Amino acid sequence: MDRRMNIRTMPQEDHLLSGQGACAGCGVAIAVKNIMRILGENTTVYVPASCLLVFGGGMYPHSAFDVPFFYSAFENTGAVISGIKAGYRRQGKDVTVIGIAGDGGTFDIGLQALSGAAERNEDVIYVCVDNEAYMNTGTQRSGSTPFGAWTTTTPVGKKIKGKQGFKKDLMSVVANQDIAYAATLSIAHMNDFVQKVEKAKNLKGFRFLHVMTPCASGWKSDPSATYDLANMAVETGMWSLYEILDGEVRITYRPKEMRPVTEYLKLQGRFKHMSKEDVDTLQSWICRKWNKRYCPTAPPLEGKGEDLAYGGDECEGV
Amino acid sequence: MYEIRFHGRGGQGAVMAAQTIAEAAILEGKQAQAFPFFGAERRGAPVMAFARIDDKRICDRTQVSEPDMLVVMDESLLEIEPVASGLKEGGCAVINSRLEPSEVDLGTVTRCVSVDATSIALEMLRAPIVNTSILGAMARANDFVSLGSIQQAIMNRFGEKLGEKAGRLNAEAAKAAFERSREGLCKGERKVQKKNAWLPTWQETPPGVALPRTSKAGMAVGPGSMTQNLTGSWGVSFPVYDEERCIKCQRCWFICPEGCIRRSPNDDLEFDLRYCKGCGLCAKVCPKDAISMRRKEASA
Repeated sequence: MDRRMNIRTMPQEDHLLSGQGACAGCGVAIAVKNIMRILGENTTVYVPASCLLVFGGGMYPHSAFDVPFFYSAFENTGAVISGIKAGYRRQGKDVTVIGIAGDGGTFDIGLQALSGAAERNEDVIYVCVDNEAYMNTGTQRSGSTPFGAWTTTTPVGKKIKGKQGFKKDLMSVVANQDIAYAATLSIAHMNDFVQKVEKAKNLKGFRFLHVMTPCASGWKSDPSATYDLANMAVETGMWSLYEILDGEVRITYRPKEMRPVTEYLKLQGRFKHMSKEDVDTLQSWICRKWNKRYCPTAPPLEGKGEDLAYGGDECEGV
Repeated sequence: MYEIRFHGRGGQGAVMAAQTIAEAAILEGKQAQAFPFFGAERRGAPVMAFARIDDKRICDRTQVSEPDMLVVMDESLLEIEPVASGLKEGGCAVINSRLEPSEVDLGTVTRCVSVDATSIALEMLRAPIVNTSILGAMARANDFVSLGSIQQAIMNRFGEKLGEKAGRLNAEAAKAAFERSREGLCKGERKVQKKNAWLPTWQETPPGVALPRTSKAGMAVGPGSMTQNLTGSWGVSFPVYDEERCIKCQRCWFICPEGCIRRSPNDDLEFDLRYCKGCGLCAKVCPKDAISMRRKEASA
């Protein structure tokens, strides 16, 4: 019998309570709510400047977390959670310390503190809720913004349309520091999500969880499309689900058949200007990522080599 | 000087409406300014925007606390916000409502124009973005700016941002709202007073600014105190749950961002609509179509 936790057997008590002020259909709220359910009440939360700070914890004197909550400057998530854990260690308390930063606070601004905490192998959980831009301040590009996406700082002009670089491969930056556990999560793969968070909870050392959280406001999508976006990101290969435990990469979900990336792009307004050449560039980046760069130690996709070696002209639906 | 205050919800376009009315005034050779109230607003949360119009140069840069015209883009705001506060004697109000002006309870008796902007927007733009329809009704309420200039300003602003076709559609929505709005006097029975949020003075500030779960000035503060923020009025639709079809897979319980789906020990579900923002994700993930979304009717 499978004893692993699933959404029916996971703890049910909420620690990010109702009444938080997120937009309707917020992916961050879904992810953080369920992470907090699994971690339980013996937890201390740290959040740097981000949407979650504004809607969840930082509207002093109010907070939607019913556990101890702390916030400080944008760039020092890794440093602050290390300090909180050290304080508890000194007091002889065993408390789960979790830092939840956005993609700006992880990919760009918080990278040095994150890298330091990972290098010291601090006994904390670091969660990156990745909505692929600085959504709290009104959609500015971050290191996580994918190729071609519209943001206010990568506008759509006559010559340059959207962001011109690719998404930073943060997982390999973090995982190559020999941390205890690293995993990518999707809110559309619910049981996988629950199992990875539970695994992270029960381990010691630095644990890094990277969640993709669609953002209806910044991605210009419908609030009810949040689930479809998270699901389609995995099915098209824009987001891949795997975990790294003791240096071993395990792909936890492999799409049966890679869907063309247009099925993901067409759900969002931020990609609607993309030309066929841009879509081809993005598609070949996905195929390259899956085949070589993303999971260097993972076995290549069995029997799917031909499908993934994307030539550039077979992209359907463009 | 003519001052306007917009009350809307994040995502309805209150800021764009204020900018457009200012642009329309500038097109007529007047001076104008428009700016939003900055806060931690999210899509669906109550927001404000302001506009000032004058024949001479405007030096005042403050928020509008005593408006000549009040624009309420969402009727449900009347119940939670003191929208009528500071409205000048002889001022007027424009309200997005299906009701006749005489049935609207603003909290103060004044001249009022009501227009069903949500229906007009859904009909003509296929989205509940009511700002352009409201602008048409504003031309009806007071002729400080003509409908023609408002339409021109809409074409300029929206045409530039969304393309010429969208600009034309929005200008037509304004005209339809101008024609379909009704004038009258509104009622003044409602009393809404907003409590000032408690904030510690420097003597009261706890060491390290740590705040335990407690209650100050009749308001819960500290961890978990945001549960008093009932977000259920934000959405335009709400879920309807059919228990017979439900297989208790708990996918909706997992996906609900608000946590307003509650689970009993035997996995029965209960929907707490006091917090529901109407995102529709529960209906989306349900494998058996046991949940459907229904649009809220305007409160009578």
